[in-house]
This record gives sequence, C-alpha cells and structure tokens, in this order.
Amino acid sequence: MTINTLAKGGCHREQMACFRKMEKVIVAMQDPDMGMKMRNQRLLITVIPHAMTGHDIITWLTHKYRISEEEALHLGNMLVKYGYIYPLKEPRCLVLRPDESPYRFQTPYFWTSTRWPASELDYAIYLAKKNIRKQGELMEYEKERYSLLHKRINHTWDFVVMQAREQLRSSKQRRKADRIVLECQEQAYWLINRPPPGVNNVLDTGLERPNNFSCRVTLVSNFIIEACRKALGRNRVKSSICLEGFLKYSEQYLNHDPIMQGCLPSNPWISDDTAHWTMNAEIVPVPTRLRVERWSFSFTELLNDAMGRKEFMTYLEKEFSAENLYFWQACEDIRHGENSKIVEKVEDVYKNFLAPGAARWVNIDSKTMDKTLEGIKRPHRFVMDDAQMHIYFLMKKDSYPRYLKSDLYKNMLAKAIVPQETKKSVFPFMRRQRHSSPSPAQTATQAAEEEGLAKGAGANSAAGSHF
Amino acid sequence: FNLIMGKEECKTMLDALNKVTACYRHLVIALGSTSDSQNLREELKKTRKKAQELAVANRTKLTSLLKDKTISKEDRAEYERLWVLFSSCMELLEVDMKRSLEIAQDFPLKVPTRHLIQTGMTGSTTTVAARAMSVQNMKYEADSNIDTADLRDLQAEITQVSQMMEEMEMKVQVMKVQVAPWAVEAKQEAGAELKSNMSVGNSSVGSREAGFASICAVIGFFVIVIVALVLGYLVVNM
Repeated sequence: MTINTLAKGGCHREQMACFRKMEKVIVAMQDPDMGMKMRNQRLLITVIPHAMTGHDIITWLTHKYRISEEEALHLGNMLVKYGYIYPLKEPRCLVLRPDESPYRFQTPYFWTSTRWPASELDYAIYLAKKNIRKQGELMEYEKERYSLLHKRINHTWDFVVMQAREQLRSSKQRRKADRIVLECQEQAYWLINRPPPGVNNVLDTGLERPNNFSCRVTLVSNFIIEACRKALGRNRVKSSICLEGFLKYSEQYLNHDPIMQGCLPSNPWISDDTAHWTMNAEIVPVPTRLRVERWSFSFTELLNDAMGRKEFMTYLEKEFSAENLYFWQACEDIRHGENSKIVEKVEDVYKNFLAPGAARWVNIDSKTMDKTLEGIKRPHRFVMDDAQMHIYFLMKKDSYPRYLKSDLYKNMLAKAIVPQETKKSVFPFMRRQRHSSPSPAQTATQAAEEEGLAKGAGANSAAGSHF
Repeated sequence: FNLIMGKEECKTMLDALNKVTACYRHLVIALGSTSDSQNLREELKKTRKKAQELAVANRTKLTSLLKDKTISKEDRAEYERLWVLFSSCMELLEVDMKRSLEIAQDFPLKVPTRHLIQTGMTGSTTTVAARAMSVQNMKYEADSNIDTADLRDLQAEITQVSQMMEEMEMKVQVMKVQVAPWAVEAKQEAGAELKSNMSVGNSSVGSREAGFASICAVIGFFVIVIVALVLGYLVVNM
C-alpha cells in the first residue's frame, strides 16, 4: 500500500499476513472463468444474486488448491470465521456447512482488518441505527453495550445520533435488494468485530492486546513531541562500531552455536538421542569443552553457568576472597526473590557482609557504603544494586583474569570432554534420524518402504545371482 | 441577533457535512464490489470534494466563533459541542477517504479482467450521490484515467484533510480556543433517536412497514381485478 497510515500517535499498522492470504483466496474466487459458481437467493419477492452453497465452496477449494476435503473444510471455515464469507440462513452461526446452506461474499470495506480496526464510534453508530430500525428491540448485550458507549463517548453522542439517522436515510436511496444485502453485511461485520458475549473473539490477540482506544479524543500531539524529545536524547552508537562488535561476537560464538556448527554428539531433535542435553546439564561431573571455553569469553558467561560459579568459588576460596562472590549471590537472591522475604534477606546481608566486624566483610568504597546503609533503612528490591555493581566490577577486574590464568581453570579445560559425533548410519535409506519423532503414519509408510526395499534387494540379489 | 444567526448557520453546515459523510461512507462500502463502476468512482470524487468544501467552511466558521471572547458561557458551550461533533465527523471522513484509496488501488477498473467481489449488491449508487450533492440527477464525465490521476488526487486530498485535522487540534490546544472534549455533554440521552421518529418518520420506521405496505398494495390490486372481472361477467351476461 502506498499510503502512509502513520496516524498521529498511532503506529503504522500492517494487515496481518493471514488476512492478506485470505483476501487473495477470495479474489481468486471471483474469477469469471475459474471462479465460484453463483446462484440466486430468493426471498419473498426479491431475488438477490451472488449466493453460493457451502458445498460449492468446498468443491472449489479442493479443486483450486488440490487439497483434501477435510483441509478445504477447515480453510472454508476460516474464511467464514474471519468474515470474508457470511452465512445467509443463520447469520449468528459462523460455521461453514458442507451442504446446501447459502453463503455470500463480504464487501471489501467490511473485510476483517488489523489496519483498520473497528472503532467505538462506528459501533455506536451501528447500534443507534439498529435501535431506530428495530424500535428499541435490541438484544440484551447490545443494550448493555449501547449504554456503556453512551457513557464512554458521551461528548460526541449527538454526532452518533445524527450520523445514524443520515446513514439510514442514505440507504433508503437504494433499491430493496441492495438494502437487504447492506444490512446483512453490516450485521456480519459487527458479529465478528464485536462478538456477542460467550462467542470467541477471533481478533483477540491474547495478552498483548493492542489498545485502540487511545484515539483522537485525547489530544496526542503533545505525546508525539515528548516522545521525539526523548528519542533525540538517547545515546547513539555509530553503526561502524556496533557492527564491529557484532562481527566479533559472531566470530567468537560461531563454534558454539548448535545451528551453525552442529551439536555434538548429535542434534537431539533430529536423532532422538538426548546425550547432548544430559552432557550439558546444570551440574555434571565433567563439563564439555565448549562450555568451559565459554567461561573465558566474559565474566557474565562464567557467572551465569552454575558449574562455572562453583569452580570460581573454589578458586576464590583459595585466594581468600570468596566473600565477594557470596555477597554477589546474596544480592542476586534479593533482586529476583520473593517480595515478602526482601526485608529479612536485606537484614541478613547487612549482618553477614556489611556490618563492621562481619564474618564475611566485603570491601566497598565509603561512598557506596554510606548510600547502601541509608537505603537499608527502607529496604526494597534494588537497595543493594550499587554495592553489588561495585563488587561485580571488582571481581571482574581482579579475580576473573587471574582465574583464567590459574591452574584450576587450565586443568578444567584439559579434563573437559569433547563428545564424539555419532556415526551416521551406513544405510542411506534408513532415514530414521531425519524425522524428529515418528508419527504413526510415518512408521507405517517406513515399514512398508523397508519391506518393499527388502523385497527389492532380495529380488535383485536373486536376479544378480543368476548371472 | 448575529449570534443566533451564527448558531443556526453552524448547525445547518454541520448537518450538511454530516449528510455528505454518511453518503460517502455508503459509497465507499460499495467499492470493490459488483456495484463498483466508473460512475461510482466519479461519485466518490464529487462527494469527497463537496465534503472537503463543507469541512473547510465549518472549520472557519467554528474557529471564528470560538475565538470570539465576547460570547456568553452557554453559547460557548454550544459551540464547543458543535466543535466536538465536527471533529468526530472529520474523523469518520478521514478514515473513509483512506480506506477508499486502499480499496480503489486494490480493485482497479481499467484492467482486462476485473475481479470485483460478488457481494449481491448490483444496483447503482447514483441516488445516494445525488442526495450527497443535493441535486436531482448526477451528471457524469467519461474520465478515462479514473484509476491513476484520480487516486493521486485522492492521496493529496487525504494529506490535506489530515493536516487540517492536526491544525484543528493544535488550534484547540495552542491558540487558546480551549475545547475540552470530555467536558461536552450530549444533548440527547440514550435512545433519543427513537423519540424523534416523527420527523425521520417514513424513512426509518418504514423499512419493515414498506414490505407490509407493498403486500397490501398487491392484495388490493388483485381484489380490484377480481371485482372488475365479476362486474364484467355480469355485464356480459345481462
């Protein structure tokens, strides 16, 4: 689409890919030669063209895409569910029936769209129109929503009424058949975009529901200005520098990436052999070589690995500076632990690490110490952050490089195992490792294949032995 | 006196814009369907031009009225209400214009095989457009580049409208034409549209009754024919 829908304060919305695909299917159905077979719908006096039966839809889908009937039924169901085709007999039941029940195409304006979500204003106008047409006989849930909307967009309610009346008047200008179609279309659209209670909302995107209510009623131009100001002040890194960093990172981790380098002994997803996972578990008697190498990449790698931490702790105890790591671990526990235990944990940390004469007193500079002691009076999750950061950098600059040069680490590296790559099967047509987990259908076909091949081999060898 | 004139004028202009917006929406709904045609595209063009004229007129009038410091509080409240209605109307119009551009681009007319969606709507929309333009009949020019030049115009107009709406909000914020949309109270309560059915009258209530009325007419017709036949038979036999 060429037009820029960058509304003020709104983000550039895209049509969801699945909707674009469904639209293509619908347009393909309109082909004058290869398209859907259309029939006429007869109401009391009026005849409306362009109706099709559920059965026709499924037949067309099966032929066009060369799929099974089951799949065509599923695809057709989706077209109905998302409102590209609506049923004529039971409009509230959005299901594709593979029989003679009639359906009709929805007009492009009312196609389901993530680019143009249905607005509250439109829904209010629709309910007002329905109210007029049915003389107040709305359904219960519609009445509730009507009153809710009346409260919510009360300031523009007069417009809702005005527009509803005018829309009804303008639809009077069309002939009866078109009016009926228009009503059906609108009803189908709103059944999908504002489904009745208890019906699944097909547009529900789960927890990350986009909030469409921040429309122009709240004047958003100020927000834009603020956001731009903040964006201007952000720290920027030249792309040449960050790309270099990215290259270095990629080179360093190339051998450690299971996708690029393959994993030893074999990829469990392919070979069904879980050795890779057992060898790289949290705590193992002997770690793998790659893992130990990673400890030398950065301090965070070492600290994030449970075994690495253990080794580092052993080293620090030899150096008599283990309290640093204990302190760091205690602070991590506070940061990520339960809210209710924060106060007592902070008390413990103070007693063990910060109080003068504590058993494991850590060496923090006076400014940070003062600040932390102040903060302890009102403990919260992040009160130890400064001190923790200080100790972290202390370990990183001081103990960590020495650890990497120490005998302890070098021995670990030498001891580390390099698992053997499992030999690929000698028989090329035993394709068991290609499939992650054999489904019953596949085992059946495999068994048939193996039988066939065995027979073939037998026949060949028999034939061969003749010559 | 001037103020009363001002209010009435505003209301009439707003009503006109409201009418054109409703008609425009009706026309956009027909885009891409089997009701779509060269004529429809022309109708859309004319309707939206009219809408823009009315929009500009409305905006100028309302801004001048709101800037006036000498008006009374009730008048001011009324003008603020009209302003809110006006901006809601423009909201609808802007979205419809954007959508009409998108759909018109997706369903071009000047191609060897048109793939218009067979929606069941086959009648023409000329009466709707005539209502929008407040004329008796629509006149059409055979414009051959309806797919290209017109769409470019539409794009330009959409930018214009978006700019106008931004300005409107800026004015409201910056130039002390203080309108607080949330402070405006609707004049109509819920369900008000049902009450004034008298004026809307035949056009809205009539939809169900129209069917009924036509059936009555048909039955009446047959009754008259039967009576005529009976009388004729009697006359012949006399």
